[in-house]
Amino acid sequence: MDDFRIAVVCSSNQNRSMEAHSCLSKKGFNVRSFGTGNQVKLPGPAPNMPNIYDFSTTYDEMYKDLMRKDSNLYKQNGILHMLDRNRRIKPNPERFQACHDVFDVIVSCEERVYDQIVEDLESRDKSESHPVHIINIDIQDNHEEATIGALLIRDLITTLSSCDDIDNEIDEIIQEFEHSSNRTILHTVMFL
Amino acid sequence: TEEEDASSNVPVYDKVVELLNQASLLQKDSERVGLLKQVQELITFKDANLLDNFFDEMIAFQSDRSPEVRKFVIDFMEEACKKDPDLLTKTMPILQHLMNDENVNVQKRVILTIPSVYKTLILWLAKSKLPTAEMTQVWDIMVMLKNSLFDMLDSENDGIRTFSVKSCEGIVLTLSRRSEDSEIPKSAKSDVSLDSIPENSKYLKVNKLEEEGRKLFDALLKFEASPHISSINLITVMTSLSNIAKQRPVHFGRVVQAFEALHVNLPPTLSRSQVSSVRKNLKMHMLSLLKHKHSQDYLSNITTLLTDLGATQSEVLKVMPKIDESKKRKR
Repeated sequence: MDDFRIAVVCSSNQNRSMEAHSCLSKKGFNVRSFGTGNQVKLPGPAPNMPNIYDFSTTYDEMYKDLMRKDSNLYKQNGILHMLDRNRRIKPNPERFQACHDVFDVIVSCEERVYDQIVEDLESRDKSESHPVHIINIDIQDNHEEATIGALLIRDLITTLSSCDDIDNEIDEIIQEFEHSSNRTILHTVMFL
Repeated sequence: TEEEDASSNVPVYDKVVELLNQASLLQKDSERVGLLKQVQELITFKDANLLDNFFDEMIAFQSDRSPEVRKFVIDFMEEACKKDPDLLTKTMPILQHLMNDENVNVQKRVILTIPSVYKTLILWLAKSKLPTAEMTQVWDIMVMLKNSLFDMLDSENDGIRTFSVKSCEGIVLTLSRRSEDSEIPKSAKSDVSLDSIPENSKYLKVNKLEEEGRKLFDALLKFEASPHISSINLITVMTSLSNIAKQRPVHFGRVVQAFEALHVNLPPTLSRSQVSSVRKNLKMHMLSLLKHKHSQDYLSNITTLLTDLGATQSEVLKVMPKIDESKKRKR
């Protein structure tokens, strides 16, 4: 399981990717999570007033900042709970474009994120000796959908990690997964 | 000082012996690989003199029961040959053997290593003053490996086909010439290609090699147009053709044509979401071809295709080459 390196990626590395990160690491997978956005955005007091942070800001600092700003609001909308979960998993959100580690499978949670991943990988200087599969599963950015999405990602990763010859079987596995989950999946392969 | 060097080598030598002994005793595959990687570091990157000394001990792990260890041996040999091309004589028969390994992941590792070893081999032969029997033997094995690679484009195994396409791309790039408007990725800047081989090379017949490269490129085009190609094979071959077009603009027009033909005639076997993935990929490659200096003769083909693929005008304009500027550059 250690040899199978997984990345889950959303925009801000807060909700969808962290839910999946938590879910996969509980199952013992070698997983990391990322965001592709320029900055980390969290809901604020109004839709046009998000809280914006740098990727280097720790989850703990964000937690304390929001506690100070309006502990009732952020308790009620679940943001503090989410940040508390996140800070137990790792110190701070990570930007995908800044990480040059090797993965076997990268799962994105939104088409725009998938496009950003592919664009970034395409622009890198590659040794072209390692295939990486990039898979998109659309997940709406709210707590409930993140939970459902993480379970779907877990099921897909469980199947992929258990096959002896992923490059031969992945097309079929993804098609079956599309049927069983009733979702449209984007999939591509790149050699890095 | 030679003596000093020799004496300072002793601890490294002992360390290597110790690591190799441990590696042969350890039960866990990942731990054996870990130790062998340490040996590789010591003998390949730190002290090249040791490479010759311990090469045989390292390649003995080619018959290790673990596919991970055998895959490591392939990587090790690839790197070792770059440092010392004479090691090709020992490496090539092992690669040939492992190409038929019982484990498909070991086979795929050999497939992916072929272009790199081929480059090393070509350089080695180009530099040699006098062909030797050993060189001929190594060359013959490489010919066999390349033939197997070609056959593997028809393999039953989807993954083997994917990897073979990727390797064929590498060989096409070696067996062709760079031109002024070639866009070479940073990592490939120092790679050998036919233009860097002297026409009067004792061993290499440049024209014949160029012909072979053209045939392999044709094979990739044919592969791309095969009616029941799988989604992942198609995406891989599209990337390969796009890379070839950008690095060898002599092929630019045929790649654009092939992509146009593909767009109007997508394999009927693809599912709806696979069509989305393929179209998304096609759009990305068309944008990157449009960005290329050589796109000027194909602007209307490319932009029409991009419009059909749903690219917005701003996406197109963002990468469209500035014609005036490139004219200035020519002057």
